[in-house]
Amino acid sequence: MTSRDKILGSVRDAMRTLAIRPVPPTSAPVFPPVTDPAQRFREEFLALKGEIIESPEALRQFLAGFPKITTDDSDLVRQTAGPGNATVREADLGITGCDCLIAQMGAIVVSPPSAGGRAPSVLPPAHLVIARRDQLIPDLAGAVDFVRRRYDGHWPSTLSIIAGPSRTGDIEKIMVLGAHGPRRLAVYWAG
Amino acid sequence: MRVALFIPCFIDQFYPKVGKAMVAVLRRVGVDPVFPAEQTCCGQPAFNTGYWNEARRLAERYCEIFADAEAIVSPSGSCTAMVRNFYPELLGRTPHAAANTFEFAEFLVKKLGVTDVGARFPASVTYHDACHSRRELGLKEEPRRLLAKVRDLQLVEMDESETCCGFGGTFSVKFPMISSAMAGVKVASIQRTGAQYVVSADSSCLMQIGGLLKRRQLPVQTLHLAEVLVRT
Amino acid sequence: MTSTEKSFRSAATVKSADAPHRAVIRRNMATYHTSVARGKQRFLDWENARAHAAGIKWEVVNHLDRYLEQFESNLVKNGAQVHWAEDAAEAKAIILEIARSHGVRTVVKSKSMVTEEIHLNEALAAAGIKSVETDLGEFICQLRDEPPYHLVTPAMHLSRTDFSREFHEKLGAPVTEDPEELTMIARRWLRKDFLTADMGITGANFAVADPGMIALTENEGNIRLCFSLPRVHVALVGIEKLVPRVEDLALLWPVLGTAGTGQALTAYSSLVGGPRAAGEIDGPEEFHVVLLDNGRTRLLADVEQRDALQCIRCGACLNSCPIYESVGGYTYATTYQGPIGSVITPHLRGYADWSHLSYASSLCGACTSVCPVHIDLHRHLLQNRRNAVQQRLDPLYQRVAFRVFRWLVNSGRRFAIVGKLGRLALRLGITRPFTRPWTATRDLPPPPAQSFRAWWAATQTARPPAGETAPAQQPPGGPTLR
Repeated sequence: MTSRDKILGSVRDAMRTLAIRPVPPTSAPVFPPVTDPAQRFREEFLALKGEIIESPEALRQFLAGFPKITTDDSDLVRQTAGPGNATVREADLGITGCDCLIAQMGAIVVSPPSAGGRAPSVLPPAHLVIARRDQLIPDLAGAVDFVRRRYDGHWPSTLSIIAGPSRTGDIEKIMVLGAHGPRRLAVYWAG
Repeated sequence: MRVALFIPCFIDQFYPKVGKAMVAVLRRVGVDPVFPAEQTCCGQPAFNTGYWNEARRLAERYCEIFADAEAIVSPSGSCTAMVRNFYPELLGRTPHAAANTFEFAEFLVKKLGVTDVGARFPASVTYHDACHSRRELGLKEEPRRLLAKVRDLQLVEMDESETCCGFGGTFSVKFPMISSAMAGVKVASIQRTGAQYVVSADSSCLMQIGGLLKRRQLPVQTLHLAEVLVRT
Repeated sequence: MTSTEKSFRSAATVKSADAPHRAVIRRNMATYHTSVARGKQRFLDWENARAHAAGIKWEVVNHLDRYLEQFESNLVKNGAQVHWAEDAAEAKAIILEIARSHGVRTVVKSKSMVTEEIHLNEALAAAGIKSVETDLGEFICQLRDEPPYHLVTPAMHLSRTDFSREFHEKLGAPVTEDPEELTMIARRWLRKDFLTADMGITGANFAVADPGMIALTENEGNIRLCFSLPRVHVALVGIEKLVPRVEDLALLWPVLGTAGTGQALTAYSSLVGGPRAAGEIDGPEEFHVVLLDNGRTRLLADVEQRDALQCIRCGACLNSCPIYESVGGYTYATTYQGPIGSVITPHLRGYADWSHLSYASSLCGACTSVCPVHIDLHRHLLQNRRNAVQQRLDPLYQRVAFRVFRWLVNSGRRFAIVGKLGRLALRLGITRPFTRPWTATRDLPPPPAQSFRAWWAATQTARPPAGETAPAQQPPGGPTLR
């Protein structure tokens, strides 16, 4: 008998009796509805210390501050911000697309297909997301549904939901940005 | 209506004045209770220490002794919770006595619909929410509604009123260092209110809190809710 | 008394008297409670969210075989490798073999209680493999050669001065107490390890059966680096971590975030289902999931306490526990601390050495009232006490005492007589040795001369029978029972 057999055997034995069921939830929604997704995303994202780049001129200025840039090599990013000039390990800034954005949480969903792999959105000290407004989804449940519809049957090896820059509260519960992931996270709406 | 008194073992022996005060208040609102003298203990000390067979015997005994009462009133949230919430599990059924045992404030407010018992107590008072009363019986507003009707009484809420005082039955003597430390935190909350009295519906908490107040020679006095409501 | 209990008692004695230690914990807890109160506002009804969360986890731990098999099957389809470990020794052997077969010399590791549970770092060190804790709180604990202090905040007990001193002494960093500078020091130091490590080891917050992925919750980004950069990713996962579908995370992620730190979502919520897939440009060559039993099936078989396996490791119970506040995390001297730790440790590690934790509680019930998945924590502590007595682990004097108690309370008359004698003994002061555990720190109330029952018998039995007296005040229509 392998360990798998033994463990599953013990589990199956235990499962012959059900524990008492908890009181079921009501049918009410868990969260209040998101009434103005664009506004909500803005509020939540800024509250998380994300940065919103408001115009093409602002984008030019933003990019000028990063000598070494790596991108996900997607059409959207190349058309909006140009090609990269550095590897992901050398870069000061990673520019990627995303799968979608979540207004309710001020969050951004990335995956290897949408963001050029695992590293570009986490290794460089800054991360810029080029997004389209039609990628904005009102809430987290909707975003999970979206990802399920997009990837069911052929999931990427990983997905991450990014809610603001990297942070830690491990030192006396004082919040500090940029622990290991990007210290700066920005979004630019390309359309 | 036949109302019986359930006077917990340690109130019987150490705080008879609490039982007497409760009887006086009940009579004032038109209830004339009986006291079945065969009663002793609800069994909580045994139950909490893991001696469920002993506790079960006491549960059976309680339900027999109080079988004839329409309602049983007790000046202890902790013992009431033992009877109402834990006897059914211990016995595998819910005898009438188990379902109809009420804590004193609960009985007045929820069963009799009474909040004004004609009391007067010119003092500043803070209220400690005993764990069993609060989390097992769900009582919070009931004692406060009663205190609100006590003439000239000033209620000052403490921060963390629902935090455990550290008594916990045998815990208080099995782990006295932790128990005393918890009492210290509670006493600090009480002192911050500046109140003259700390009131609770559980004498076990008051024994713990009062024990530390006396040891530290602090002026705050302890009173059971019944002892406040009895004053006119 | 077992040596574990003796150690617990002496540590508890020291820590409950340690005022600066208590102040640190209370400060942390106050911040936590404020954040959580704010976080709950996001929900239409937090209590309803708890009901949802409890329902999802109940479903899993009551159909665990189905979800385990589905999880494994989907992972394998995605190119991951799944291993099953009955106990800590087997889990370590599996992980060491994976490391050996890949020539692993350094490991970067994320905060994971299950890896603490099996003492993985010791095994790696013994095999000559350098294992680096990358979570900032765990990193400093590793520098200090200490275990993590708290489920969610491993360095809760340390001040910025402690961080400064450790970083200066162990890393040669300049002296600074600025949290930002300290964080940057750790970031720069650990970056080298991230970029060169051969293997990343993580735990998992959830194991999603459909579509076969583990879920990882963090704020720092170290977990993402652990599973993105090294050639091999190993995840150690307790078998109870399952959730049925990724859709369930739309509820569980915010519930965990809120109960854990008051955040709707932590900075990164990741899903990992396989190694680098076809067409992906980076990621590990291999992804291994090691499923661990190590006593969980024992807890699963205990139908009464099975819900303890619903735990999502949020830490809310620790943060509400007045005992935890008094004694701190290390006093428990075992991986899982606070109320949940006290509940499960006897099941995982034996009642003989660990039932004392179930007694070190006032049963205040705060833990049960905050648990987001409705684990009946304080009732389980009571059940553990009963189980300990049934296994005859209770000390002889206590067994005898409760036999005497049973005799004593079986008759009103007997109780009255013994009570009178007891109060007399107290008044005479001959009970002092027995009352010392109380009187060392607290006064006892003066024993009254007359008990309630004696007063009643002396003064009340001559009254007319109940119902015939006209009371002074009566609600209109007489007293009625509602």
